[in-house]
Amino acid sequence: MHTLNILIMGFISIVIVNNLVFTKFLGICPYLGVSGRIDMAFGMGMAVTFVVTLSGTLTWLIDHLILMPYGLEVTRYVCFILVIAGAVQLVEMYIRRFFPSLYDSFGIFLPLITTNCAILGLCLFINLYGIDNLVEAVVLSFGAGIGFTMAICIMAGIRETLDMADVPACLKGAPITLITAGLLALAFMGFAGMIRIG
Amino acid sequence: MASNSEARAGIYGDTFLAGLWRENPVLRLLLGMCPTLAVTAAVKPAFTMGCCVIFVLVCSNIIVSLMRNLLKPHLRILMFTLTISTFVTIADLFLKAYVPRMSEMLGPYVPLIIVNCIIICRAEACASKNGLAVSVIDAIGMGVGFTLTLCVLAGVRELLATGAIFEIQILALQKEGGWFVAWAAMGMPVGAFLTLGLMLGLVNIISKGRT
Amino acid sequence: MGKVKHFFEQSWLLIVASFCFGLLIAVTNAALSERIEQNRINKRNNLAKGLLPDANNFVPLDVAVEVMSIMGKKELAEIYEATSEDVRVGWIFNAAGSGFQGKIELVVAADADFKELAGFDCIASNETPGIGDLIKEDDFRKQFEGAPAEKLKLVSSGEPTKIDSEIVAISGATVSSGAVVEIIGHYLVQVKQQLQAKGLIEDGK
Repeated sequence: MHTLNILIMGFISIVIVNNLVFTKFLGICPYLGVSGRIDMAFGMGMAVTFVVTLSGTLTWLIDHLILMPYGLEVTRYVCFILVIAGAVQLVEMYIRRFFPSLYDSFGIFLPLITTNCAILGLCLFINLYGIDNLVEAVVLSFGAGIGFTMAICIMAGIRETLDMADVPACLKGAPITLITAGLLALAFMGFAGMIRIG
Repeated sequence: MASNSEARAGIYGDTFLAGLWRENPVLRLLLGMCPTLAVTAAVKPAFTMGCCVIFVLVCSNIIVSLMRNLLKPHLRILMFTLTISTFVTIADLFLKAYVPRMSEMLGPYVPLIIVNCIIICRAEACASKNGLAVSVIDAIGMGVGFTLTLCVLAGVRELLATGAIFEIQILALQKEGGWFVAWAAMGMPVGAFLTLGLMLGLVNIISKGRT
Repeated sequence: MGKVKHFFEQSWLLIVASFCFGLLIAVTNAALSERIEQNRINKRNNLAKGLLPDANNFVPLDVAVEVMSIMGKKELAEIYEATSEDVRVGWIFNAAGSGFQGKIELVVAADADFKELAGFDCIASNETPGIGDLIKEDDFRKQFEGAPAEKLKLVSSGEPTKIDSEIVAISGATVSSGAVVEIIGHYLVQVKQQLQAKGLIEDGK
């Protein structure tokens, strides 16, 4: 019961309270680039969720089974990024081979994901929070992906309407998106401190 | 001969200046947003971050430029990430050893330099196509442009959030008898997004006035 | 054979580069790791010295003490005996938990008999500047100096200068102040019990 409680709390916490986009500034680049249309944003979000769950789990395993026992923590960053790059490649090949239709809809986002800070960021935060069991790592990774999808979809929804708004010429495009993101971050700050993980 | 070297110097100067303004990574190319937003609550961490990025950018551009003829197309990105992550690890170790306070403040944002799009973008767009000298100058120009932008952004935020720049009190705070009421929000995520948004708007106005 | 040859043709650069980069990291790490460790120790000792000005040496406790973290996980406590010319003047222990935004790591000091707290200081925190950040300020920290070494209580209003087990919250930063009180209380009780059980300090009763 207690464990389940921690898992649920951890999940809600990473999705809403400690949302990677709004509180840790991770994954801003695709957030600004792709969030123009809601279906594209959702596709990107799903692709990220998939890769982040996979690589979060894998990096946790590598960290705890190989790096820590042998005192190789210093190579952590190199290992993490290679795992992520590898995971992205694998996912891309797998989807192209077995789900061609799925590949058509979000395959184009996959190469972009390697340099998505949200993924490496999450792997590092799992390590920083000192998560020491596998289930928790999986749940947190999945939650991070969902949180990212949520943020990017909210943003895309706003931007679709924003196209029709009368924005000063100099603020059109990226500037107004950032300002909107700022107001969203302000809204999400209302959740801060509700659930604490660590 | 003389005109040749002059022309070359012109290219170098141009490459350097491009990074500062015309192709400024943050303001124009919108690259490397995460650190731009995350570490600019104060000038000191922003400056440290900028220095790390310059170091990693120069080193990775040197390596990539040296082995540009040996690169296999499909292993290219892997090589880039490998190079970058190695130098980031080294930068991280140096920070931990010599400026532990900054290392703590920057925390996970130091390793996140690995996925800073600026570095991989310069490796791909410049270093893998150009010789050593151009690559290094491009790296320095881009790095300095990035650092300056970060410092300006951080300066505005730190001044409004705490009334200080570089931790030196400039505006007298109200709680200490002065007149300035600190805007705590500027130190939070909101401040980062808003300031950068307005800064981009300002840059748009300036560049439109010129052309 | 052809396949193996093809494989090496494609990837020799990657393999050579990995080897060189690995070597580079190893050399840097070997050169700097001692300094990094020393930085960590210096930082903790400096903070500890601010809390227990009489102490001039901090000796790690040689018996392992296991405590439960706030999330209910077992971990080894970091406890140090603060001495001055081989006479114990107090105890130092680390405590960590989550605050308003992310982890708060504290170093807590208690007197030689573990009856009173000597104060705490922040090793690392990520609290909101100007609000939650105030937990690092003297106004808040003074309340812990001399407070009884038992479970502490957070109250929303009261007299901050009165030293007792009631800690007055920073207005506007109840979560951060609460987190500090919770973290300190949580570790304090366990460390005290463990030290008593091991006979290192006298049982209070």
